[in-house]
Amino acid sequence: MAAMNLPDWGKAEAFDNVSGQVAIVGIGEADHSKASGRTTHDIAEQAIARAIADAGLKPGDVDGIMFGPGVGDQFDEKLYRERFGVEHELWVSHQGGGVVWAATAPYHAARAIREGKATTIVNVFSVAWATQRGSMTGGPGQFHAQEQFKANLEVPFGWFPQPVYFSTIARRHMGQYGTTPEQLGAIAVSARRHANRHPGAVMREKPLPLEEYLAKPMLADPLRVEDCCLISDGGAAYVMTSIERARDLPHTPAVVAGVGGGRTDSPYWSQQGDFTATPQVFSAPGAFAMAGVTPADVDILTLYDPFTIVTLMQIEDMGFCAKGEGGAFCEDQGLDFDGGALPTNTHGGMLSHAYVLGISHVVEVVHQLRGTAPNQVTDAEIGIYGGYSGHRASTLVLRRDR
Amino acid sequence: MKHPGFPLPDTSWEPTRGFWEGAAASELRIPRCDACGSLNWYPPPACRHCGGEALTWRAVSGRGQLFSWSHVTRALFKEYASKAPYIPGIVVLDEDPRVRLVTLLVDCNPEGLVVDEPVECVFRPLSFSEIEGEVIAPMFRPIQGG
Ligand SMILES: [Zn+2]
Repeated sequence: MAAMNLPDWGKAEAFDNVSGQVAIVGIGEADHSKASGRTTHDIAEQAIARAIADAGLKPGDVDGIMFGPGVGDQFDEKLYRERFGVEHELWVSHQGGGVVWAATAPYHAARAIREGKATTIVNVFSVAWATQRGSMTGGPGQFHAQEQFKANLEVPFGWFPQPVYFSTIARRHMGQYGTTPEQLGAIAVSARRHANRHPGAVMREKPLPLEEYLAKPMLADPLRVEDCCLISDGGAAYVMTSIERARDLPHTPAVVAGVGGGRTDSPYWSQQGDFTATPQVFSAPGAFAMAGVTPADVDILTLYDPFTIVTLMQIEDMGFCAKGEGGAFCEDQGLDFDGGALPTNTHGGMLSHAYVLGISHVVEVVHQLRGTAPNQVTDAEIGIYGGYSGHRASTLVLRRDR
Repeated sequence: MKHPGFPLPDTSWEPTRGFWEGAAASELRIPRCDACGSLNWYPPPACRHCGGEALTWRAVSGRGQLFSWSHVTRALFKEYASKAPYIPGIVVLDEDPRVRLVTLLVDCNPEGLVVDEPVECVFRPLSFSEIEGEVIAPMFRPIQGG
């Protein structure tokens, strides 16, 4: 891979070239909902069953499972055998699940398949945070309150939890680059419009015109509730296999063309080298290089979007526009599936589709490449998922098989 | 002293003890590398710039620039309810803008704040209605006519 000039406040992950070796052949989403009383295991089982059926396979065909044990109570290989009534051993990887891993799981799957450890691998992620919300002290912010530097240098000053971090980032971005509330609003409005037209979205019946967005009260100025992701119950899964095998299955394969990862040197938002950038700066170039594409080749983009400002910064940091011009780009060029220069989060993202931490973003890209998305981008061939978790980012480039 | 609990700091936790001791003495103190003189924040086990392992808490001027802030009108966690509205923010120090302190902005109208405007440190008591204990904390305010 060509040497790339990256800034000094983070690093790219070193990934072998796995381009073209595996494909996503099956996708399944569990029902997305507000508090539902379901467990993460029930949700995951539904998503996996749908993904396997979509691939034209049987539960017995799956011989590898990927999940992320660090987030909640995740479905694992033991549950897979119990719930799907299979006896065989499974190859197991904890490098799976949602967030950044929803993009990098195919990398680890490609290596396992190449090394003969498995032939057909499912990656799954589910949450029941809407159901669990009442019993969670601090909610998704709890983890941050327990970290000692945050607890002793940030929390006492009220700099906690996530809406405060990201409103501070958004304010700085506004001061540095002239980003406006209307530009952040353009991101929220486009995501909502996509969700309104998507049968699986939580925010299907709730339109959000820009005037209405601007009239909403601030949650943590300059962010409104509409700039923040949902809390919902749901999950998704996808099935991967070798490209040769993929071509014998019912759907057009979504070929894994490129994978990248990156991280910042500091795990603290407040201390990150470039406060108004994401580690996509380090992740995206490697993924684009592995895939042999440039941002101009991308037909459909999905981005981990806990807040509108994170969508905006990732668009800049992946090179779709110059740094600082993300606001104008989103407002003027547009993110809509029909007529936007860069169709983005065409299912509605975590802002309006479902809060399943990015795994539905990958499902959406596969739909787009197959031509089966509710908000279909005409003739989509190259699609991207950008994962983000503060000090880490990841990038997955998928290509419609020829 | 026993840690009074969230959201008050544990002033006895070793890596940040010097910061809170300084605040109690109305001084803003930051770890400085004995070898190369660099300020280091957050407090590291060794200097980020030269690797030197001897760091000493040193008082700084308390002057800096307003890097960014958030204006919270309704508390985002219940312990902060009695403080709302509040303006958590980040200040960079005049001595070295790589030092970014998380703080509370005080004595100001949030509508009038400007990114990068000059600010100065003031020491104020920090306590929460349902939680026993109080600390003196470094907060910042715009320098009038700065
Ligand atoms: Zn040093």
